[in-house]
Amino acid sequence: MNGLIAIPTLQELLNYIVGILTSRTFLEMIIFPGFLNIMLGAAFLVWLERKLIARVQLRIGPLYAGMWGILQPVADGVKLLFKEMIFPELADKKVLILGALALMMLAVAPVVPIPFGEGFVIADMNIGLLYVFAVISLFPTVILLIGWGSNSKYSLLGGLRSMFQQVAYEVPMWLSVLGIVMLTGTLNLTEIVKAQQKVWFIVPEVLGFAVFFTAILAELERIPFDLPEAETELVMGWMTELSGVAFMVGFLAMYTKVYVMSALMTALFLGGWSGPSVIPQPVWFLAKTFLVASVMVIIRGTFPRVRVDILLKAAWGRLLLLALANVFVTAGLIWLGLGGIWKV
Amino acid sequence: MAFDVWSLVVIFEFLAFLVTFPLLVFGWLMGAKGRNAIRDGPFESGQPRMGEARQRYMMQYYPYLIMFVAFDIISMFLFTWGLAFSVLPFTDNLLFIVFLIVLVAPLGYALHLSGRRELW
Repeated sequence: MNGLIAIPTLQELLNYIVGILTSRTFLEMIIFPGFLNIMLGAAFLVWLERKLIARVQLRIGPLYAGMWGILQPVADGVKLLFKEMIFPELADKKVLILGALALMMLAVAPVVPIPFGEGFVIADMNIGLLYVFAVISLFPTVILLIGWGSNSKYSLLGGLRSMFQQVAYEVPMWLSVLGIVMLTGTLNLTEIVKAQQKVWFIVPEVLGFAVFFTAILAELERIPFDLPEAETELVMGWMTELSGVAFMVGFLAMYTKVYVMSALMTALFLGGWSGPSVIPQPVWFLAKTFLVASVMVIIRGTFPRVRVDILLKAAWGRLLLLALANVFVTAGLIWLGLGGIWKV
Repeated sequence: MAFDVWSLVVIFEFLAFLVTFPLLVFGWLMGAKGRNAIRDGPFESGQPRMGEARQRYMMQYYPYLIMFVAFDIISMFLFTWGLAFSVLPFTDNLLFIVFLIVLVAPLGYALHLSGRRELW
C-alpha cells in the first residue's frame, strides 16, 4: 500500500508554514496595507480627531496617556475590553455580536484593492473600484440589522436613518467617480493612480471631488450628516445598545471606515502615492490620507447638523445634478482632446 | 505562491474574523457579569420602557427610495459606458449624454413630488 497521500515530514510541514508566513502576500495582508496598518491608522485617527476637535474648541484634549496623549485610544480600548457587555433582555444578542463582527469585517474589506504604494497592494483587482463600492453598499444592511436586533427605539430609528442616508448618497458617490473612469478607461485602482502621475484628478474633476467628498461624509455619518447618531435626539443611534467590546469593535469599525475612505479618496483624486521621490511612496500616501481625514475632522468642528429633509433633498436635487454635470464636463474635456494627459 | 484575487479577499476576510472574534470572546470572558431588571431594559434615557420598540414608523423617505431603485441601476450601467467612452464613436457618446439630460426631467418631477409633505 503506497499511501495515496504522502505524509509530509515535520521538516517539510514547517518549511511550508514558514513559506506561507514569510510570503509577500501574507506580510502585505498582516502588516503594511493590511491589519497592522489599518488598526494603527484607525487608532491614530481616534486620537487625531479628539486632539484636533479640542484645538478647534480651544481645549487641550487627551494629554496624560503617553506623549500628547497619543496612547489614549489604547487606554480606551483596554478599558472597554474589561467592561461588561450589557445587552437588553429583549434584544437578539447573537445579531448584535455578529453585527459588530460583520461591521468590522466589512470595514477592512475595501482596503484589499487600494494601492498604498507601487506594489503595496493586497490584490491588484481589475474591478477594484467596483469592488470597493459593492462592499460599501453592504454597510446599511448590517447597520439596520443591528438597529433591529437591539429592540430599542433609539437603535431602530438610528438604523433606519442610517440606511436611508447611506442609500441616498450612494448614487451621487458612484456618479462622481464616473468621470475618472471615463478619463482612464479602467476600474483598476493601481492604474488610476498611475494615470495621475502628471496631473492629479482633483484638477479636471473638481466638481466630482466636491460631490465625492460630501457623499463620503454622509456615508461615514460624519458631523454635518450625523443624523443616525445625533446625540441630542438618539443617544448613540444604532450603537446605543452595543456595549463593552461589541461597542469597541463597532466604534473601531467606524474609524476604520473613515481611514479606508480617506485612502480611497487619496487614490482616486489626490494622486495616490505620487510625489517627489525623496520621500518613499507609502509615506506620501499616508500623509495625504491623514490630510483628508483631518479636513473631515475640522468640518466636524465647524458645521452644525443638517435636517433630514434637507439632507435627502441635497443628495437628490443638488449632488446628483452636480455629479451629472461633472460627467458632461469630463466628456467635453475628452472631446477637446485633453484626455491624453490621463490615459494609462 | 500565487493566489487568485478573490481567494485573497476570502483569506483577508477570514483574517479579519480571526482578529475580531477573539476580542469579542475575550470581552465576554473578562467583562463583569450581572443581571437585574433595570440593567436589562433597553436604554430610554433613564425612563422605564414605554411600549414596543418594533412598531410602525412613518416612512417619510419612501419617494426617495423609489428614486434610488431607478438611479442605482442606471448608475451601474453608466460605468460600463464610462469604461468604453474613449473607444466609442462620438455620436454614440452623444446619445448617452442626451439620455442623461433627458433623465433630469423625471428626476425633477420626482423631487417635486417627494418635497410635498402632504403626500408623505
